[in-house]
Amino acid sequence: MPGRVRKDPLRKPDRPYLALGLEGSANKFGAGVIKHFEDGSTAVLSNIRHTYITPPGEGFQPRDTALHHREWALKVINDCLTKADVSMHDLDCICYTKGPGMGAPLQSVALVARTLSLLFNKPLVGVNHCVGHIEMGREITGAQNPVVLYVSGGNTQVIAYSRQCYRIFGETLDIAIGNCLDRFARVINLSNDPAPGYNIEQEAKKGKRLLALPYTTKGMDVSFSGILTSVEAYTFDKRFRANGQPQNSNDEDIITPADLCFSLQETIYAMLVEITERAMAHIGSKEVLIVGGVGSNERLQEMMGIMAQERGGKVFATDERFCIDNGIMIAQAGLLSFRMGFETPLSESTCTQRFRTDEVHVAWRA
Amino acid sequence: MASPSSSLALISTSTLISQGAEAKVYKAHLSAAPSDPPVLLKHRFRKGYRHPTLDASLTRGRVAGEARALLKCLRAGVNVPGIRMVDAAEGVLAIDWITGNSVRKLLPGGADEDEDTGEDEDESEADAADALQEYDISVDVLMQLIGQEIAKMHLADVIHGDLTTSNMMLRHPASFTSRHPTLRTELVLIDFGLSYHSNLVEDKAVDLYVLERAFSSTHPDSEPLFASVLKAYEQRLGKEWAAIGRRLDEVRLRGRKRSMVG
Repeated sequence: MPGRVRKDPLRKPDRPYLALGLEGSANKFGAGVIKHFEDGSTAVLSNIRHTYITPPGEGFQPRDTALHHREWALKVINDCLTKADVSMHDLDCICYTKGPGMGAPLQSVALVARTLSLLFNKPLVGVNHCVGHIEMGREITGAQNPVVLYVSGGNTQVIAYSRQCYRIFGETLDIAIGNCLDRFARVINLSNDPAPGYNIEQEAKKGKRLLALPYTTKGMDVSFSGILTSVEAYTFDKRFRANGQPQNSNDEDIITPADLCFSLQETIYAMLVEITERAMAHIGSKEVLIVGGVGSNERLQEMMGIMAQERGGKVFATDERFCIDNGIMIAQAGLLSFRMGFETPLSESTCTQRFRTDEVHVAWRA
Repeated sequence: MASPSSSLALISTSTLISQGAEAKVYKAHLSAAPSDPPVLLKHRFRKGYRHPTLDASLTRGRVAGEARALLKCLRAGVNVPGIRMVDAAEGVLAIDWITGNSVRKLLPGGADEDEDTGEDEDESEADAADALQEYDISVDVLMQLIGQEIAKMHLADVIHGDLTTSNMMLRHPASFTSRHPTLRTELVLIDFGLSYHSNLVEDKAVDLYVLERAFSSTHPDSEPLFASVLKAYEQRLGKEWAAIGRRLDEVRLRGRKRSMVG
């Protein structure tokens, strides 16, 4: 009901709280320790991540990614505790990603979380990955009630908070934006280090020619699969030069990989900004928060900034430490729900590949 | 078609009414004559964040598409505002000004769309009932009108793309002479910005589903209302209904179970 201000249900803690967060829904394994103080402030004590990087032209397979997480889990968690200067015994709870994500990697991390929980007799909190991104973004940027654009390798959603639920206003109808970028990077053989999207962004800076691609917004939803097919098709065009160089001095009408990266970025980011603007107009919000791995893209942040400025609004974005999947965001969202009395009993400490953002009861917000 | 400078000059003399996500809406007069009725100007202004080439081609396509859909509806006898001017290059579309209210404001729950109205629900419901009386129409007849207009539009193979109660208006009886024996008003469909041409059962069913979601999110306890919209739609559509109805049931399931995994 508009005009009515509900009381903040989250009371200030009676003592400092500590939580460990474990994340591994895709190709990054992350661990972080967060501390909530009595005065309501928050401190990131440590935030460590290790990324599974595959050779150019290859994606990460669930089985190999799970293996990577199992190999790195203990080292990353140890580093994380050492850096935070806390022991396992000091923790109030252990938070882990319940979903959504890739099945095998999620299971590996859930297993680590369960084992630690039993060893040290600490309660478990299962966290929705998307809600983790949103809560960490709000904490870092101080945005109060923003429209959230959540863009990553597995998710593309426009979200706004309403009545203790993060409602999805628009989302992708097929593949996620990061998936589209990753797969295109594979087509033109870009490196996966540090991330395919980052390398596309660098390549796009050299592009000059805007090639026509489908522009597929449908109301507040978007679709990327056709765009991926179209941009791939340009690599079979007879004007395409894989090395980006003209064959001779008369060879002027050419398409380079840089042009394709540039065109792809301009098109898909314009679509995202458009649906975000539509959601802002719909709910009358002036704040935008960009979260998720693709959110670290500077061109996307720049375009969003121009849009927000035209509307008299403001953009909140975080850097790669908090944008890209990390353990600390799981700790933050988990600790918020733990302070509201939420725990995941061992018998229910499962994980799931399908876990929609709007299924979570956001008990800690008014 | 007007030259770019003249349509922008026209905007500079018009009154800004609202700014949506995509366009600014103005009230304007095409000529200085006092008898000249006002028009509604919809200006899809330049988006600074978009590459200029991309922006220009999108704007051109969308203005032309909207005008095309309106024309198609007009030819098929669907109640939509008439086109007065199209300037696709500048992104300007002028249509007849409609005096009246959106259906959203006339139904319970829809009046409190603006934040901080400060009213509680009972009051706004009473307001909605009062407003309908002014139009001399019952909720049931209004729902029939909605169903009929959508059916007429779908029979012309136009898909609206954004059916909500905000995108339907009732003409105010004071400024409208109805040719209907008992009805003093008329339902008009507006905002064809997301519309397209299609004869697929799928697209028509999705169009109806969008409206159903809009009803349930804006107007509490509106299931019986939407049911009578569908009934009128079914009657008007005749034998084509069976396939669309079946597909609508499928689309409903799809909406709920849509997965978020890419």
